[in-house]
Amino acid sequence: MTDLTVQNLTVKAGRTTLVEGAGFALVPGELICLLGPNGAGKTSLLRAALGLEKRSSGTAALNGDDCAALSPMERARRVAYLPQQRPLAWPNAVRDVVALGRYAYGAAPGRLSQPDADAVDRAMETCDLAALAHRSADTLSGGELARVHCARAFAAEAPLLVADEPVAALDPRHQFRIMDIIQSYVARGGGALVVLHDISLAARYASRLIWMKDGRIVADGPPAETLTAERLAEIYGVRARVHGTLVHIEGAA
Amino acid sequence: MKPNAWLLPALVTASLLALFAACLLGSTPMSPERVLAAFFGGGDAGDRLVIWQIRLPRALAAYMVGASLGISGAALQGLLRNPLAEPGVLGVSATASLAATFSLYYGLVALSPWILPLSAILGALAATGLITLAAIRTRSVVTLILIGVGLSSFAGAAMSLLMNLAPNPFSLADMINWMLGSVANRSFREIGLAAPFILVGAAILLASRRGLSALTLGEEAASGVGLNLRAQRILTVLGAGLATGGSVALAGAIGFVGIVAPHVIRPFVGHDPARSLVPSAMFAGLILVLADIGVRIIPTSNELKLGVVAALIGAPAFVWIAIRRRSSND
Repeated sequence: MTDLTVQNLTVKAGRTTLVEGAGFALVPGELICLLGPNGAGKTSLLRAALGLEKRSSGTAALNGDDCAALSPMERARRVAYLPQQRPLAWPNAVRDVVALGRYAYGAAPGRLSQPDADAVDRAMETCDLAALAHRSADTLSGGELARVHCARAFAAEAPLLVADEPVAALDPRHQFRIMDIIQSYVARGGGALVVLHDISLAARYASRLIWMKDGRIVADGPPAETLTAERLAEIYGVRARVHGTLVHIEGAA
Repeated sequence: MKPNAWLLPALVTASLLALFAACLLGSTPMSPERVLAAFFGGGDAGDRLVIWQIRLPRALAAYMVGASLGISGAALQGLLRNPLAEPGVLGVSATASLAATFSLYYGLVALSPWILPLSAILGALAATGLITLAAIRTRSVVTLILIGVGLSSFAGAAMSLLMNLAPNPFSLADMINWMLGSVANRSFREIGLAAPFILVGAAILLASRRGLSALTLGEEAASGVGLNLRAQRILTVLGAGLATGGSVALAGAIGFVGIVAPHVIRPFVGHDPARSLVPSAMFAGLILVLADIGVRIIPTSNELKLGVVAALIGAPAFVWIAIRRRSSND
């Protein structure tokens, strides 16, 4: 079983502290939503946890191996990463973009081995992309493109997934669709850490919520325990009413 | 999407035909029979001399220069994720040709025949390295192109300075050759001196081409799928520097071929940078061989320089590509 364990992680950029003393563990079967206002350090935490950003102290390990010391390919086989910025440089065919998710297995869009091609097909199936396989990526809508990026991440068939705002700028139906896809991945035995800004969406899907503010993790637990009106006021500075996992935000506090 | 299966065979055939045509045509046109006879060691001694000493090396030089610029252009475009990247535009060719001129000017070339290709390559590597350092710091491709413009202008200015100070008309003519780019009067010996660098550069680019596909996703996601970004940058810069440097050592600075060829090829290979390398190299080689045939048969009092003709065709193409680019993928 693959696990991502982060302890006492601190990230600094120059003299600014982006993340301070953060710790969490991601294991298969869990869907963790990472919540926090803009600038709370969510992306820096994810990047440092994956060894993509230099940490100034603390540890981040995949199966006990230091993330920063793992080769990029070895890391990619253990955890798939869907970054916030997802620019596509060229108008490639959808299937070719998804095939890039197999990079860590030595595959290239032009030459996929049978296992690679099967994994790509499964990922396309999961994200409902079969009909778009030969479409050029620059002709897709935002929702379709989001599914392509999800499929790209799933094509690696890594046991863990880290996704930074996978539903940003999507309409409600597509937000649910992407979260359903991630939930079914977790149901099949994956573990996902997802940054979200929609608290209701997070409360609905997450098995655990991690709340961040000013570079620190201030709470970590199931929605039923950590989602409270007081917490929303503390983290986001908003007035809200909370009933179970239903959230109604009334305005800025 | 499957890359078009006919692309490579068509390019190979066209390349061979163009090289053959380059041997046929010239100030004294030869029949195909005479050329073939001379090829295989038969025929007239004069024909053999014309083919083996003059036309074939010249055509091969044009093809090699085109191929190295084409593959470097395609690789740099993949690395920087921009269709406007190219050794000429990024100032790599100009810097390489400045370094070559410098070694000619100070007579360093007298020390060893390898000095000229080596200095061109050092110039090319310095420029490519600088561009990549800048690429790490900035995400804006416009900035990179502007740095390239700056490098080109500086190399041009330094070149003008050397020309200003040129001790005699002979070295002046030599320098102009380097600035304008030409494959006239190249021999197999000069090809042999540039070839190792071009081949090693091309081999590095081909060996690391898979990472260029991954970079389609952007640097962040490319690292996410397992790309070693640092290694990729170093290999592409090294490969493009060696190949461009080698081509400049052979023919001086020839611009814009490296931008036009990949642009034409890309739609045929599913816009995959990795799969565009070899066809772009062959297509760029083809373009230069054809352009050089044109240079030789157009009746002008002074033979046109190949680099001038390439720029006359390539620069408008560059402007056209730049205008048609969508602002969204900046």
